[in-house]
Amino acid sequence: MVTKRFELSGKAALVLGGATALGRAIGVALAEAGADVALTFCAVNRQEEVAVNSAVNEVWALGRKGFAAAIDVTDAAQVEAIVRRAADELGRLDILVNNPDLPFAKPLAETTLDEWQRVLTANLSAVFFACRAAAAVMLAQGKGRVINATSILGERGVINSTAYCAAKAGVVNFTRALALEWAQTGVTVNGIGVGFLEDVPGIGQDESLKAALEKYLPLRRLGRSPEMAGLVVYLASDAAEFITGQTIFVEGGALAHV
Amino acid sequence: MILDKLRLDGKVAVVTGAGRGLGRAMALALAEAGADIVAAARTLSQIEETAQQVRATGRRCIAVPTDVTDSTQVNAMVEKAIAEFGRIDILVNNAGGATAGYGVDLQFISDEDWRVGIDTNLTSAFYCTRAVLPHLLKQDGGKIINTASGFGLRGARNNWTYVAAKAGLINFTRSLALTYAENNIQANCIAPGLFPHTEEMARYWRGGQFIPMGRLGRAEELGPLVVFLASPLSDHMTGETIVIDGGGLADGQVPVGLTPVIPL
Repeated sequence: MVTKRFELSGKAALVLGGATALGRAIGVALAEAGADVALTFCAVNRQEEVAVNSAVNEVWALGRKGFAAAIDVTDAAQVEAIVRRAADELGRLDILVNNPDLPFAKPLAETTLDEWQRVLTANLSAVFFACRAAAAVMLAQGKGRVINATSILGERGVINSTAYCAAKAGVVNFTRALALEWAQTGVTVNGIGVGFLEDVPGIGQDESLKAALEKYLPLRRLGRSPEMAGLVVYLASDAAEFITGQTIFVEGGALAHV
Repeated sequence: MILDKLRLDGKVAVVTGAGRGLGRAMALALAEAGADIVAAARTLSQIEETAQQVRATGRRCIAVPTDVTDSTQVNAMVEKAIAEFGRIDILVNNAGGATAGYGVDLQFISDEDWRVGIDTNLTSAFYCTRAVLPHLLKQDGGKIINTASGFGLRGARNNWTYVAAKAGLINFTRSLALTYAENNIQANCIAPGLFPHTEEMARYWRGGQFIPMGRLGRAEELGPLVVFLASPLSDHMTGETIVIDGGGLADGQVPVGLTPVIPL
């Protein structure tokens, strides 16, 4: 039965950046499809902690194992530790979803070196840290799924977002190159490119930005995080074994425009 | 539950090029997920075989011999589908072929080669989409899935009609996506890498040893992808081209197996 091949029963997943609306939607969807799920959140953000704990409760309510851990994704040692801990506590690690996201918008001429480095580290280097750490587990088991979340800003430019656009585009080509490196290991590396989401702080609450986007978007509305989750489940499953190196966009048609 | 959204019960899918290879695999996967099938292709015996396999899954299927490069036949096929099932929810434009003018220097590509190549791979999708669209609009939505190719995204030596038509199909799909976004119609492409449907093709492609993953695609690997794109689980995806090729297009010009190590 074709739909059976999407099931994730017996698999374990780690979602880096698991406390955002997108991270939580992905985590819960993976659990719905049968996986045990660990989620990371940002320690200094009290709101993230509350949100991620409710997602973990949903994971348990679905009959799956799960936990949340506070880490700083810009610290390689902490990222490596959480990858090891997820593999230990969940007994294995089959799926790594890298969803670190540090939004940033400022004219380039005013961007400081410190800001540039923070944006590049949080959005791009964190993916490197996590993949390098997961290599030890996934290459050894001869099977695994890495799914890197990126943005339509990794494919198209937008003003006042040069650093963010560069980092997100970096994730797209990082995904291609690592996919090739691991092509014969049983570990696939793919990306999901998200569009403008209404549940992202800063977009959903900014009425004028929201109105402008609604005029531009083919669906005349912003995306919702749960709408991204189906693709993640597909890519995480055995059904997607022959797809690697691809970043697939879920953006209601925004990239089809000239 | 999220996986329940993959079910296609009560839906009707038209699949062109359904007599063999990828088309047959897609028709069977859609049927396994619950859809009834209209199998269209030129050769009756082949679509009859597909229809039998679909019926074995418990779904209904009609085999309608159709030359998709002839709009009269396409319109008749869609009328037949509506007469039988009363609706169409999913259109898979999969008919195509790479042989017209393949491997020939451009100077010697005939008008007929060009016309056949473009008609088979591009015009056919236009005819089928034009005929099915009114039904999707009437039903407040539907899914169009076009089989493109890696050759629609990259060029290839002495490959003319196929690369041009498949690239055209990808951009045709984007305009479909934009134009009918608000009608709840999602249009996407699948771009398969090398999926042989005969032993001879598998040998010709040397078993896929030059593909990063080291193997060729298997027709049944297309099934889950087409079901995903036909299902509500992908409702926010439109205008996209999903490449399923074992890493082929992630590659650049560096041969597989060459692994440079350059220390700082």
